[in-house]
Amino acid sequence: MPPSDLVHLHLLLNHFPTVGMIVGFAVFFFGVVSGSDDQRRAGLAVLFIIALLSLPAYMTGYAAERALKTMPDVSPEVVGVHQRSALLALMFMEATGVLAWYGLWQRSKGRARFGRLNTAAVLLVGSLTIGLMAAAANVGGEIRHPELHDSTLPAPAAADGLLAPRWLASDFITFYQYSHPWAWKTLETIHFMGLCLLFGVVVVGNMRLLGWMRNAPLEGFHRLLPWGVWGFVANAVTGMLFFIGQTFQYINNPAFHWKMLCILLAGAEVLYLTWDEDLWTLGPGQAPRALVKLMAASQIVLWVGVIFFGRMLPYLGNAF
Amino acid sequence: MELLAWIKNLPFSTAIAASDSIWWGYAWWLFVHAVGMGLTAGIAFIVCLRVLGVGRQIPLSSFRILFRVFWMGFYVNLLSGVILFMTDATGIARVWELYAKLACLGLALGLLSRLRRFIDSDQSDGPIPPRARTLAYASILLWLAVITSGRLIAYAVEAKSAAV
Repeated sequence: MPPSDLVHLHLLLNHFPTVGMIVGFAVFFFGVVSGSDDQRRAGLAVLFIIALLSLPAYMTGYAAERALKTMPDVSPEVVGVHQRSALLALMFMEATGVLAWYGLWQRSKGRARFGRLNTAAVLLVGSLTIGLMAAAANVGGEIRHPELHDSTLPAPAAADGLLAPRWLASDFITFYQYSHPWAWKTLETIHFMGLCLLFGVVVVGNMRLLGWMRNAPLEGFHRLLPWGVWGFVANAVTGMLFFIGQTFQYINNPAFHWKMLCILLAGAEVLYLTWDEDLWTLGPGQAPRALVKLMAASQIVLWVGVIFFGRMLPYLGNAF
Repeated sequence: MELLAWIKNLPFSTAIAASDSIWWGYAWWLFVHAVGMGLTAGIAFIVCLRVLGVGRQIPLSSFRILFRVFWMGFYVNLLSGVILFMTDATGIARVWELYAKLACLGLALGLLSRLRRFIDSDQSDGPIPPRARTLAYASILLWLAVITSGRLIAYAVEAKSAAV
């Protein structure tokens, strides 16, 4: 994908985290207030989707940053504040996404009810995320919308500090990795451990959906799912640190674009499978419907694809 | 050392090492090794988690089939590991991380086969004995050590080559 397309993608995606977060949170909140379980589930699903879309929204921001750098009326300081505040907001957004998935998972556990602690956590972390997303979007708007500028106010400085901590600056993270040689090795090792845990759950869970281990009820495999999510969280955190540390090895790399596409598609399928509460009540000897089997097979293909494109990062294209 | 140099200079080894192909060159075998790692360590993790009580609704006996997948992953990695070794036999053989990985792998396989004996037995669907739980904890730690030492081989070879 050419860099200019990535800039367009950023302009397309960068409204999703802010607007989608507010919509998802509102649906969930009114579901809690009105006692509507369906509304709560819908709100959690929206929050999960927005957490997924926030990843490319953040990543494509670096292509936009590079394109803007050469323009005379763009302040690098404002761009830097936007990057730091966006990364802080992204961290909270992803935490909200994990909590939202966990809420859906708890619901589909067979007990058909939401956990109180999870509800409280989604409301707390979600409301913080809305504030942080709004702050990041506000600074983002300052970058290239001169009609918003008030020359008497130092706008970027107002959003600096707590909302855009210096230790989240890309340059700081890159410098830290260069000056601490063990950092990259440690991240790689954790990335591989996360891969094994996630892939183990993917293979075993989907084998059952495809017809192996039929004497086991699906309930037991449902209990394994959070371990797969923990593996993914380990890989998302370490993967983001690779990306931020060496952005231009990734952002213009076709292998990375394919890897992200596989992750987003696999993530959408995970949402569908978690959403399907009846699936996890299937007992010994029972088989899921054909669509679920198709998804199970494609899950294995997609995660093998993630590994393939991950390993091919230095070998496809010329970004390394 | 002469043997290692001979292995490294075999036409097969040099062809793989020099190939840019993502379908049969060095990159391909790295990918195959990563999938094999996911199958072996991944399935070992899941079996151990089940022994430790995660997903206790699954009869442990139904996990017997997973050992076939585990061994498939193991042989895939034996093949890909040997090929990767051949591409730089002299470099890889002189880092201690390789021997740490092989030692941890040997121990991990030993523990897993003891765990398998319990899973293959008539008692596997009954209460899990404390000894099996200890084996599961130790297995998880050993597989983590295999992944860590395996991952560090590449960095150690690079550092040694730079120092020479």
